[in-house]
Amino acid sequence: MIAILQWTTFAVCALVAIARIPSALRRENRSIFGVFVLSTVAILLSIDVSYQSIDAWLGSENYTNLILRFVVYGTVLLAGYRIAKAFDGPRSIRLIVGPVGKSVLTGVGIATVILFLLADTEGTATGLKTLPARSPQNAALIESYAAVGRLYPAYVAACILPATFVAISRPLPKTIRIGALLLTVAFAAMAFGSFYPLIPSEAGFLEYVINYTSVLCLALGLAFVWISSLMAKRALRMHP
Amino acid sequence: MPLPAKAFQHWLHVVAPSASTADICRLSGIKRTTLAQQLVRGKVAESTLVSISRALKRSPLADLAAFESYADLAGRPQPPTPAELVSQIATMDLLRAVISRSAPAYGGYGDDGSALTPALGAAPHATSVRNWVDAIDDGELRHRVSDATGVAPQNYSAQLTANRLSPELAVATARAAGVGFTGGLVATGLLTEAEAGWPPEAKQAALDALSDGELTVLAGERLQALGKTLRRQEHEQEQTKKIWENLG
Repeated sequence: MIAILQWTTFAVCALVAIARIPSALRRENRSIFGVFVLSTVAILLSIDVSYQSIDAWLGSENYTNLILRFVVYGTVLLAGYRIAKAFDGPRSIRLIVGPVGKSVLTGVGIATVILFLLADTEGTATGLKTLPARSPQNAALIESYAAVGRLYPAYVAACILPATFVAISRPLPKTIRIGALLLTVAFAAMAFGSFYPLIPSEAGFLEYVINYTSVLCLALGLAFVWISSLMAKRALRMHP
Repeated sequence: MPLPAKAFQHWLHVVAPSASTADICRLSGIKRTTLAQQLVRGKVAESTLVSISRALKRSPLADLAAFESYADLAGRPQPPTPAELVSQIATMDLLRAVISRSAPAYGGYGDDGSALTPALGAAPHATSVRNWVDAIDDGELRHRVSDATGVAPQNYSAQLTANRLSPELAVATARAAGVGFTGGLVATGLLTEAEAGWPPEAKQAALDALSDGELTVLAGERLQALGKTLRRQEHEQEQTKKIWENLG
């Protein structure tokens, strides 16, 4: 079940990234192309099979997980900034790329690296699942590392959420409103990420579902808006 | 509520006993699937009846009145008030009247206007529904309609903004305002002015009866409302463009 969700999300992101290559070559909105490439990479780095092989190549110290964190930060920053600009949320833009946003990102970045280096991370473990069991100290370090990793996406998501939410009920073209709805779902799921510790451990699969739903909705939402713009351009060409 | 299918089929049998469904559809230009769907659901749209009645060269108003929910339409219809008539004049026609009445220096013909001024366009126009309701509203009308029909005020307003009103609500509005029942049916485009029994010169006469001041204030209000609508559309277009520029 989770594997299906993971591979579907991977396929969607990869397909849209490939489909956007021509427009990226024409220098149209390369950052959105970047969002899709980065999310494809991020998913590849989090799926068990690919994680194992990549981490083995990198020395089996779980540096892959550290790279994954920063790929996620990059994706969220790029997507968040573009989406806030598109949906005209000056406050969201300021909170993401303004001084507050920069310090949150810097703080999260430094904390991520320090906590990772302090923890014992020997031996490939997808999602660092087996590492906390080694010692109480390692458990605390890995848990804080994971919490910090969820903090930045949650912060950016909370900043944009109002802008995309308002757009759902605006009198805009239907495809854009569907896109806004999907993006709102994606950011709501992302913002919910900070509350994972509240989920009982028996329902741990929920974390996967929420994570991948969020990426899937983000990709689909962006794809929807993109397709609607292509349709509008075509309509303009046919009836200039 | 639309017309019950049973009563509709009974009516159809009376007015066109020998015609098949296919004949009726061909004559009236209604798609066969549309009619079949309405009959299956048990509710036939008023516009379907009007199209058929027109095609058979009958009076749509009288035919509508044959149904229980439109029994009010029977008999001699109460004529529209001057305000209702003026509300069915398109905004651009009102502005043309303002210019036409202005001094020759501004391209007009003076107070009496001229035969050269183009004739008024036929109702309905782009904002005819809202203008009609505004013309008969005493300030409490929307609440009374809502109380009488159970339709929420915001749904009612949404219909007005979209320049739509179901025939049932149009009649209920007229009843709540105490005016003739044909005004709403003309404003929504269900009936033409002639089918509603309005004299051909009625709108022009109502317009001519307005003083320069009344006409100018009315045209100004219409222009302001039009400006608001256009601004809103432009704003939406700008937003759409911005979204496409950033994410497209």
